[in-house]
Amino acid sequence: MGYDWNFGAVFHHYRELMSGLEGTVKLIVVVLAIALPVGAMLAVIRVKQIPVLRRVVVAYIDFFRTSVALVLVCWCYYALPVLVPVQISTFAAVVIALSLQASAFAAEIFRSGIESVASGQWEAARALGFSESLIMRFVVGPQAIRRVLPVLFVLIVEVTKNTALAGVVSYNELFYNASTIASTTYRGVETLTVVGLIYLIPLLGASQFSRWLERRLARAD
Amino acid sequence: MQYTWDFSFVYTNWHLLLSGLLNTLKLAAVSLTLGMLIGLFVGLGQLSHRKVVKFISIAYVECFRNLPGIVLIFWFYYAIPIVTAHQVPVFVASFVALSLYTGGYCAEIYRAGIQSISKTQWEAARAIGMNNGQAFRLVIWPQALRRTIPPFCSRAIELVKSTTLASTLAYGDLLYNAKLIAEDQLRPLEAYTLATLIFTAILLPLSYLCIRLEHRLKTYS
Repeated sequence: MGYDWNFGAVFHHYRELMSGLEGTVKLIVVVLAIALPVGAMLAVIRVKQIPVLRRVVVAYIDFFRTSVALVLVCWCYYALPVLVPVQISTFAAVVIALSLQASAFAAEIFRSGIESVASGQWEAARALGFSESLIMRFVVGPQAIRRVLPVLFVLIVEVTKNTALAGVVSYNELFYNASTIASTTYRGVETLTVVGLIYLIPLLGASQFSRWLERRLARAD
Repeated sequence: MQYTWDFSFVYTNWHLLLSGLLNTLKLAAVSLTLGMLIGLFVGLGQLSHRKVVKFISIAYVECFRNLPGIVLIFWFYYAIPIVTAHQVPVFVASFVALSLYTGGYCAEIYRAGIQSISKTQWEAARAIGMNNGQAFRLVIWPQALRRTIPPFCSRAIELVKSTTLASTLAYGDLLYNAKLIAEDQLRPLEAYTLATLIFTAILLPLSYLCIRLEHRLKTYS
């Protein structure tokens, strides 16, 4: 097939790749910093059966966990500015879109964790005079988080993969810079191979860590 | 700022929305079929006693599950013409990438399904005189296949979501056609909202179906 591989052209642009990587990491950190606490809050509201609020939360979770990430990104980037009177930066649009979906996933993860803690734990803590919120904080919460830790790492992997969608609306992240390098150097395969590896290596680590954690927790229980 | 919503473009552009929807479903159907086939081989490969086959299968799963789908689609879009020496339609690049991507997840579903069948089933089958092949085909496989139905349902949902990635290469799926309408009619809010709602209208019932299937399977086994 005689294709002449040329990775030199890609490494020539390592500065763009590095700045893209920075944008990607920034997105991951901000999205997780929003989605994890919001998700935990939604999960607590859902399991505590707070009358009207619970229905709203269930609707929110069901809507956003079945929504399409790229459609949400496009909606927040192209459609949302029509609705709100303030300027929304590309970064903000992407963060809103990805956080909405990630928080719905996080909520389901935390809920399954809370529900997996045996009801005897609640009863025992109540018998000792703990209030509901103290039980969540000191008895059920810590056990639930421990159990869902492996799944949370899967969520981190999924969030990282979704940040590549920000490139579609021209946010300066790894995939976006890869596509610009590909179109200026005409070295599409090489560029995407390098960028693929940049994504793959840390994500592979996170996935393996998640599996290791799962095995360890299974043994501890 | 008061914005007046105007969905009247649907009357003049319904054929674009419809053809977009059909293209989305076509890509999803082809990729799911191929992905399930690839997943079958890779999933069995993961359980193989031959070290090389096992290693390659596990490496396949780990690689394709830990890469952003959009990177894969672009990689194949650039790489296929190098191998075939022809520019291929975006549809081909998309379904190749999505089949391989979803194949990694399908492999895990088959593997987990087969491994979830109790060891005593193998022992019992051998005790009544079956060889390993017969035990697998007649005893293990039918039971495992039943258990894979709910996870495959969720996989189908995730795959439909992933097909929107092809719109970034100008494949005429629902999202791409919504974008065309948004630009043509200068109605981004309505066009993207409509696309979001159409996806939800398909995926939300499908997700409820998954949950029901899972509950049914739990009560019967």
